[in-house]
Amino acid sequence: MASSTIQTLTTTFPIKEIFALHFLHSLSKLRRQKSFTGKTSERARKIKIAAYISMARATGGTSRRWSRAILWRLHRRAKARKILGYTKLKKRSSGADVGRIRRRRKDAEEDRLRTVVPGGGDMETLRLMMETAHYIKCLTMQVNVMQSIVDALSSA
Amino acid sequence: MENELFMNVGVSHPPEMTTPPPSSSSEMLNWVSMETQPMEPSLSRNLSRDCFFWEKSTEQSIFDSALSSLVSSPTPSNSNFSGGGGDHFVIRELIGKLGNIGEIYGTPASNGNGSGSCYATPMSSPPPRSMMATNASPLAEFSGDPGFAERAARFSCFGSRSFNGRTTNSPFPINNGSVAATVATSGKMTRVSSTPSLKPLTSQIPAGEYSGEVSRKRKVKSKDYSSFKASPSPNLSKEIEEKEDSDPKRTKKSEENADKTKELDPYKDFIHVRARRGQATDSHSLAERVRREKISERMKLLQDLVPGCNKVTGKALMLDEIINYVQSLQRQVEFLSMKLSSVNTRLDFNMEALVSKDIFPSSNNLMHQQVLQLESSSETLQLNPNISSNNIMDPLETSETRSFVSHLPSLTHFTDSISQYSTFSEDDLHSVIHMGFAQNQIRESNQTQSHTFQGPSSQVPSHMKAEL
Repeated sequence: MASSTIQTLTTTFPIKEIFALHFLHSLSKLRRQKSFTGKTSERARKIKIAAYISMARATGGTSRRWSRAILWRLHRRAKARKILGYTKLKKRSSGADVGRIRRRRKDAEEDRLRTVVPGGGDMETLRLMMETAHYIKCLTMQVNVMQSIVDALSSA
Repeated sequence: MENELFMNVGVSHPPEMTTPPPSSSSEMLNWVSMETQPMEPSLSRNLSRDCFFWEKSTEQSIFDSALSSLVSSPTPSNSNFSGGGGDHFVIRELIGKLGNIGEIYGTPASNGNGSGSCYATPMSSPPPRSMMATNASPLAEFSGDPGFAERAARFSCFGSRSFNGRTTNSPFPINNGSVAATVATSGKMTRVSSTPSLKPLTSQIPAGEYSGEVSRKRKVKSKDYSSFKASPSPNLSKEIEEKEDSDPKRTKKSEENADKTKELDPYKDFIHVRARRGQATDSHSLAERVRREKISERMKLLQDLVPGCNKVTGKALMLDEIINYVQSLQRQVEFLSMKLSSVNTRLDFNMEALVSKDIFPSSNNLMHQQVLQLESSSETLQLNPNISSNNIMDPLETSETRSFVSHLPSLTHFTDSISQYSTFSEDDLHSVIHMGFAQNQIRESNQTQSHTFQGPSSQVPSHMKAEL
């Protein structure tokens, strides 16, 4: 039973094409911005953000907490707090987890994992591991797509 | 002799044993289950007494007689088994019946007795019973297995207590004493065999599904049975050896359970979550153990994902590895984004065409067409990502975007909707944020609030950090 749930959870991996599409279009959009010819680090950061957002979107919605967290951070940064719908995003972490979380905080390794995986601040251990697995899958997919894009661009 | 045995157990139906032996195995099952029904509340006490009694008396003779009675009763009735493989066949048949008996033990519980234990240890919670029902099916499948007879013996000795929740057919009237006798004999037989062979059966009963309330009550009997270390009669020992040899599963499981070293309480917690020996058996610790097992499962899953982690064992080290891997992946993304930025400035931006050929090797025609459409219009529209997302998203998103856009992708329509976003600033981040905004709105709230986001467009912080 548990293995099946794990499989169902991890088989909802992001589709490469969707991610690539999002990413490319955001890149094209970025390119057309006038400020694109600024510092490389600035551009790189923006590209990275675009990549993460595309990845978050490519997961088929907000099925994963980390994707929601990434997008939610966007909204928070843009000071869109007046929209209540987004504050609900974060509150979805139920209070039932809180008690268990307090008990698990003593595990230092887990806390590191929480800081690494976005949106892992208030997830319990089991959930955190599932999200981590999915996140790793998405990250590898992202790296592959970006690598192929770079190769395609640099070669052509 | 049989009557004496049954009287010892405090059976209230001694004369039932004198009834003609059941003509079929089903009747034998009736016979067994009937006993268990009235026996439950008093069984523990009786058994404790009986155990001591048996210990004192000539156990071997009693067991022999009980066993022989069991063996003999079905044989004349059941013509199928007549003259089979000799001793072995008879034994298998007997064990098969014992296995059935084990199954039947569940019926009294399932029939609303409240307490599911056949040995007067009420299983209080329904869930274990329902879970045990699932065990009935694998056991049924086992019946075809040639090794089932041997395994069934062990099952039955545990099954007398463990298969309490079995939801089998309607209960049949059974003599208590005979049941106790059979169970005792089977228990003794299995007991005589080395304890590792006992443990495999305990592990066979699925571990993760039981809530574990009965474990405490089983201790009474376990202690009683543990006192039984009597030397087996030659017949029994021979039977035991026969059972022991044939099952490879048992040996494998005995290796798994090698950690169990205590000799004293073999039946301690064999009913449910496989509370291991020497471990606490209250519900908290059992749930804790289930949780830990789940965590270890997930860790194994993560191990598969992270390359080169097969040798690392242990939670802390594994977590270290995982964290390092995730961080390295993130660094890779950062590096690639930097590389992309440098590449972008150098080359013309015909990425879509390039990538659509590279990365979409097997994309469906719809996607291709939409991609091409979007590419053609990409210069005019700023919300390409939004369009593409509207076109090529998972069903959930597309439904919502459709609800938002109220139309399937047609570029002109999109331009209309996009014009709402005309207040874009030229900040890169801002556009990116709007991508996220629109998307999330479409996904989450299904409202037309996204255009309200145009207001804070000017407030988009240029200092937006990528602290992902």
